[in-house]
Amino acid sequence: MRSGLILALVRVALMTALQYRASFLLEFFVGVGTTASVVLPLVFVFDHTASVAGWSLHASLLVAAFFLVLQAMVGGLVEPNLGALVEGVRSGQLDYLLLKPPDAQFVASFQRVAPARLWDLLGGAIVGAYALSALPTPTAAGVVTAALLLFAGLAAVYGLWVLVICTSFWFVRVDNLRYLLGAVVDAGRWPVSIYTGWVRIFLTMVVPVALVTSYPALALLGRLDTGLAVQAVVVAVGMLVVSRVAWVQALRQYTSASS
Amino acid sequence: MIAAARAFPTLLRIAVAEMVAYRAEMVIWILTATLPLVMLALWNAASAGGPLDGFGQADFARYFAVTLLVRQLTGVWVLWELNQQIRTGALSPQLLRPMNPLWWQFAETIAAIPWRLLVLGPVLAGVALWRPEIVFVPTLAAAAGFAVSLVLALLVAWFVQCLFGILAFWFDQSLGLFQVWFFVWALLSGYVVPLPLLPTSVAAVATYLPFHASLGAPVEVLLGFAPVGPTLAIQAAWVAVLGAATYLTWNAGLRRYGAVGA
Amino acid sequence: MIEVRNLTKTYRVPLKAPGFVGSVRSLFSRAYKDVEAVKDLSFTIQQGERVGFLGPNGAGKTTTLKMLAGLLHPTSGAVTVLGARPQDRDSAFLRQITLVMGQKQQLLWDLPPRETFELNRAMYGIPRAEFTNTLDELISLLRIEPLLDKPVRNLSLGERMKCELAAALLHRPRVLFLDEPTIGLDVEMQVQVRQFIAGINQRFGATVLLTSHYMQDIAALTPRLLVIDEGRLRYDGALTELAREMAPERRVVVRSVEPALVPLGFVEDGGKMIASVAPEAVNAILARALAAVPLAELGVEETPLEEVMGRYFRKEAAAPPPEGAA
Repeated sequence: MRSGLILALVRVALMTALQYRASFLLEFFVGVGTTASVVLPLVFVFDHTASVAGWSLHASLLVAAFFLVLQAMVGGLVEPNLGALVEGVRSGQLDYLLLKPPDAQFVASFQRVAPARLWDLLGGAIVGAYALSALPTPTAAGVVTAALLLFAGLAAVYGLWVLVICTSFWFVRVDNLRYLLGAVVDAGRWPVSIYTGWVRIFLTMVVPVALVTSYPALALLGRLDTGLAVQAVVVAVGMLVVSRVAWVQALRQYTSASS
Repeated sequence: MIAAARAFPTLLRIAVAEMVAYRAEMVIWILTATLPLVMLALWNAASAGGPLDGFGQADFARYFAVTLLVRQLTGVWVLWELNQQIRTGALSPQLLRPMNPLWWQFAETIAAIPWRLLVLGPVLAGVALWRPEIVFVPTLAAAAGFAVSLVLALLVAWFVQCLFGILAFWFDQSLGLFQVWFFVWALLSGYVVPLPLLPTSVAAVATYLPFHASLGAPVEVLLGFAPVGPTLAIQAAWVAVLGAATYLTWNAGLRRYGAVGA
Repeated sequence: MIEVRNLTKTYRVPLKAPGFVGSVRSLFSRAYKDVEAVKDLSFTIQQGERVGFLGPNGAGKTTTLKMLAGLLHPTSGAVTVLGARPQDRDSAFLRQITLVMGQKQQLLWDLPPRETFELNRAMYGIPRAEFTNTLDELISLLRIEPLLDKPVRNLSLGERMKCELAAALLHRPRVLFLDEPTIGLDVEMQVQVRQFIAGINQRFGATVLLTSHYMQDIAALTPRLLVIDEGRLRYDGALTELAREMAPERRVVVRSVEPALVPLGFVEDGGKMIASVAPEAVNAILARALAAVPLAELGVEETPLEEVMGRYFRKEAAAPPPEGAA
């Protein structure tokens, strides 16, 4: 049943997108541009050196590929919905959503799809395939761990988004905080080893974008030690729990305040 | 034009008041445009083993710190304003007044600069604390050249966004088009790669393009690896060309607005 | 000083084919449809007049007003306002007009209204002394003194409307275009706004053109009425004439339910008894009603304007006028 709903949603989104034919072409070019803007800096850097913080070009491109997947997920699924939530708070339309029976968080999260971001997904797949072509084939365990970590990482980022959105329930003036989150997440496009000290800790625990980009790459390269993998899952779970608590709190406060 | 110049100080004062009212949002917007720091992290790690083409870690730190500064000081958002106003018809009340609405937008752009400096101060101080050797005192000639170049760069960025914003009179997709422009700009302006580190043929062409004129030019003038005279000349040429284009297309855009209604 | 001859405005609207296949097809070709928003409008308005535009939703009233203000360009026909072509948007022209749209605001949202006033002063180039005089006058007419230093987002809709009006009049325009100025306001505020507009007409000598849904706006403010329906001018004349023609009868109203009045021709309507009679017959029926129910509260009303207009449009629907207006 759910898959039928999702199919219908995608169909509607595609139809809307097709209606603006120039948009369709443009989104393709934006997709190409996004992929290029992530890949080309790396290409330029590796023009001058063979290794950066122990990572080769192809290994770094693997991280870039995962980053593109992250961008596609966040831009295509998370942002349209949670962004709309923020608008809903501003305009008061959130009340209509809250009147509906299913868990508000889930419904809120997946009503909209931005199909344009599919190009990023495609870009990520192409870059990833290219990167793997010059790297030793990953083991089955590596692939499974990578998939697991990717999923955990995406969940963590999703949780973080929810947390940030909750702030706009309390402070409507800072509802553009999600753009700042986007800017910080941008730091995940490079292998996390290039960052040192507190910055690296920040990017693995607080804004755990490294979980989505670097860790799965490490898993595929066979360089991930189990400690890190466990840490990743713990952080992801922690993030989801915290965000869930914050969401419930925020809703409670919102409904009691706006009556 | 003269009337606008006489009114501008008042516009600026009110715009400053507005920025104060928007300060929380402003601070966040300013913090969002910090990609140079992300780039710095990469180049810093890349040059850990030794300078790349003459750029050592300190050079990269200095370069990207200045790039961040210039990026902020030439920060423009009129594209989004125009898009929204044209789409929603909020442009109409502004068109009833005998002054081009772009003047007010420009006042807001300038009024944001003090905030940018305020927020950037600690950030740049942080970078300087991390790499104290990047702090330097520019020569008088470099500083003067930088000041002029900065103003020209701002004007180039301004007119570019105006032009894309004016496209919104005809197309829904001007934001998307600007995104494509932005990708090219990031690569050819010196934003993600210092121009000297681009492949030589690419760098040679990029020096003449408007992308570089709106960011890389003032950075390189201040740091002394671009000749002041030719750089300013190229920038001034772009200001003239883009300014004229803006003037012409704005009026065409207004005719279109009047034809299709809002 | 406002001259309109055969004014026409036509929009080309793209047609969207339904369904998924239709959407794909639209990637390759587009069909268009012509929508006539305003057709062949002609009228003249003199300096100092107060004129109302009345008509159903989508009739073309706002479109006409926007063409008079220069925001929209006519497809054909001629418009002259104060000797200028509005669409040229001459600086001199813009300084003499103002357009207040109920839905679109010019006040800066996060700042007090005073700042928007200052902004307008700078933009219109109003000398300081003249500005202070006009502003003081507007403040006292609108009674907005206590609102001037509160951020606009903290004001109620009515308070905001009053400040919008002040902002729109700082440059003492000779022509005042108002598009649905009382929409969304409570009754008391509507009355205040109407009084203010009438005051501006008197004190500034400004010509007033007003579009509205609310009959009371028209009745209270504008002795001359232009009825626009489906883009065409249907009536141009005094409101009283139209009322007399469409609804000559009077309504005698008794404000309580009195069964004794039914044989006299009264009908119960929401706690009141109403009889519709020709003006000549009013006295007779009043006498008979008082005889039947001595202590009743009696009143004589004209047919409500809604009723008048309703009849007018029904008549128009039954027999549309020939090409070219009233």
